[in-house]
Amino acid sequence: MANVLEARGLSREFGGFRAVSNVDFALKEGTIHAVIGPNGAGKSTLFNLLTKFLSPSEGRILHKGEDVTALRPPAMARRGVVRSFQISAVFAGLTVRENIEMALLRTNGIGWSFFSSIARRPAIRRRVDEMISRFSLDEHADTQAGNLSYGRKRVLELATTLALDPDVLLLDEPMAGLGHEDIGRITDLVRESGKGRTILLVEHNMRVVSDLADQITVMVRGEVLAEGSYAEVSSRPDVIAAYTGGQHHG
Amino acid sequence: MITIFGVPSVVLFGQLLLGLINGAFYAMLSLGLAVIFGMMNIVNFAHGALYMMGALGAWILLEYFGIGYWWALVLAPLGVGIFGIVIERTMLRPLYKLDHLYGMLLTFGLSLIIQGVFRDWFGSSGQPYAIPAALSGGTNLGFMFLPTYRAWVIVASLVVCLGTWFVIERTKLGSYLRAATENAPLVQAFGIDVPRMVMLTFGAGVALAALAGVLAAPIYQVNPLMGADVIIVVFAVVVIGGMGSIMGAIVTGFLVGLVEGLTRAFYPQGSSTVVFVMMAIVLLLRPAGLFGSKPEAAGGVHVSLDAPAPAFRTEILLFLGMAALLIIGPAFVYSGFLMKAMLFALFACAFNLIAGYGRLVSFGHAMFLGTAGYVCGHAAKVWGLTPELAILTGTLSATVLGVVTGWLAIRSRGIYFAMVTLALAQMIYFVALQAPFTGGEDGLQNIPRGKLFGLFDLNDHTLLYGFVLVVFLGGFLLIAQVVRSPFGQVLKAIREHEPRAQSLGYSTDHYKLAAFTLSATLAGLAGATKAVVLQLASLTDVHWGMSGEVLLMTFLGGVGTLYGPVAGAFIVIAMQNYLASLGQWVTVIHGAIFVVCVLAFRRGLVGELIAFLGRSRKPATPAKTPQAAPEAG
Repeated sequence: MANVLEARGLSREFGGFRAVSNVDFALKEGTIHAVIGPNGAGKSTLFNLLTKFLSPSEGRILHKGEDVTALRPPAMARRGVVRSFQISAVFAGLTVRENIEMALLRTNGIGWSFFSSIARRPAIRRRVDEMISRFSLDEHADTQAGNLSYGRKRVLELATTLALDPDVLLLDEPMAGLGHEDIGRITDLVRESGKGRTILLVEHNMRVVSDLADQITVMVRGEVLAEGSYAEVSSRPDVIAAYTGGQHHG
Repeated sequence: MITIFGVPSVVLFGQLLLGLINGAFYAMLSLGLAVIFGMMNIVNFAHGALYMMGALGAWILLEYFGIGYWWALVLAPLGVGIFGIVIERTMLRPLYKLDHLYGMLLTFGLSLIIQGVFRDWFGSSGQPYAIPAALSGGTNLGFMFLPTYRAWVIVASLVVCLGTWFVIERTKLGSYLRAATENAPLVQAFGIDVPRMVMLTFGAGVALAALAGVLAAPIYQVNPLMGADVIIVVFAVVVIGGMGSIMGAIVTGFLVGLVEGLTRAFYPQGSSTVVFVMMAIVLLLRPAGLFGSKPEAAGGVHVSLDAPAPAFRTEILLFLGMAALLIIGPAFVYSGFLMKAMLFALFACAFNLIAGYGRLVSFGHAMFLGTAGYVCGHAAKVWGLTPELAILTGTLSATVLGVVTGWLAIRSRGIYFAMVTLALAQMIYFVALQAPFTGGEDGLQNIPRGKLFGLFDLNDHTLLYGFVLVVFLGGFLLIAQVVRSPFGQVLKAIREHEPRAQSLGYSTDHYKLAAFTLSATLAGLAGATKAVVLQLASLTDVHWGMSGEVLLMTFLGGVGTLYGPVAGAFIVIAMQNYLASLGQWVTVIHGAIFVVCVLAFRRGLVGELIAFLGRSRKPATPAKTPQAAPEAG
């Protein structure tokens, strides 16, 4: 399998503190890959680096073999690498329908149109309707997104992201702040979305990780501690020590 | 006589000394701003007015009570500090959790009120304040003469600045303050009364401004407007230095003063603009400021003010209703008033496009209105262009200015954007004041109206009215269309969550710049047309007071609504027309409206009306948006 996204010797410092330190990392095409680790391990920083929301202090990032280290976030998205956010990111003042339209305005190249109207684009309308019903948001189509429950906001965020039809999906703690039922629902949605795509997720919920991930990277103190399948990494004593706050060094 | 690069040393050192003194005031004022901003995330626009209160306080103490300078040095800051505490308790406290812009709007209103009241009381001419006997006289240093009082001001301000720095950075009290800046609830949990600390910090910051005012009283003329222009320079100082660094505020203050002094010695014409040029350069090279470390504040929680747009049919009916009223209007109301109100309504709608739909609240939109007016006036009067070409030229000049200033300003957000646009507009103001073709204080008068397309003589009042009506309705329709278009939807999405829009692949800076430029262009259209209609282009239209008026119209009517700015503009212009006999009290009323809008009805008249109609149909809760930013972890 080819590497879709790759980091080589990636580091990021915040005023002398190395949040991510010399990380080599490869995301293989068609896999669901999870990054786990205790708080402060550098997972979110790695995630922000890969999507270019942060610039690395050192190292390179490759997308399909091409160096993308100097690109800005929108350019990454246009290459088909799309992220979600830890705190659910919806456009609160827009309706559910308008939120999903935001993805399609860009892919259809009419974000810069001052005069056309979405009402006159039946193809976009159909696709939006399809996403709305696929994600069971029908009742809420005309609700302002800010008025949705937290779980529904996460569903809407996923629906908007998938409407872009990205090759690579990066999900930043998609289950954070969700109740039991929502977790089950979103796990199913992520699994289903994974078909034909590559997914990278940062996640704390181990059940979700073991359910979904083909490949796991464990980070501790900004470095990669271990890599492998769930069974492989979960049996390693240094990983267990890192999670239980043991005195592992190295 | 010794000369340095052709400038006599006495002049050079004299200007440097004056620069150092100005720098001392900039340092003390920006220090107070930084302390207040650090603690409560409020950009205190009233800081200049409070500085003025300090100076005027000293004058009143001497004039009415015979209390001299040394007591004034204590009493005026104390009095103003207490006044500040009252403001904090009654008005600012409810705003801490809101978007920081509300704090800036409220304090802007307060500064209008304070300045208006004092102008009504004392007039706008300066009052002299004698140098205290102990500090009069001076020393001849050989290369220059050093007045004792000026030496005292520099020493005193240095002591005050460094003392403040020491308290904040090196004492236990200061560490509580800094901790509360980072995480107020946590510090509260340690048993420290954070609200009281915030209150006292505000009082202290404000007292610092008043102290600077007392020190300034014997140097400058004491007058009610002395703080108005200083505060804009101080904002530029803050942008140059970067928020979040106490030492940075002090060093930048003195630095800017010295650079001004040097410029006054070598290139006097540039002395009032050099600080803004410095700001532009810093924005290009180091957007966070010379000493800035703190990333720009995310902006608290904002309540989404967006009212659901009415159905298309309702919109058409509303538009036709408005057009009909304006057509028959001159039969009932003076047409000169209606034309002026329509042009200001267009200006406010243009402003609303960027402030309401893009949430980029510019405090400098007057620069587009005024510049277009001057260029249009010049084109009609000197070049002899027909009115439509003159208006087109004026409008395009605003477009160009919009591209340049927008390109600089969109590097910053929220309150920084507000301060940067204000400072850029002030630079344009000084250019307009000094440039050869603007007519300086007199402005361009008797601009010929001419014949539209060589056919319609605009000196005919009916034709003129029709022309203004077409310009206004055309501009309004364009804005209404843009807001509904895909571009408008992207703009609203960027307003709601910029990182998310970027993650969907939108180059948000390009969209913001386009919206800003469009807004500048339409503001220019209003300004150019106004120059033809009133046959006048003057400094009033480039002054910061005009930027404040358009803010007032928009927020009073309802920011982010189509008809709000129109309603706001008609009300404000009507107030100016019919309440003109009240003099300075009109400014006070403007200020009071700001305060009431921010405290009680942030949606504005039209926004509240739409919300009310919406509520009466179905119950709805206001939407809250957490401002999410990518986090380090």
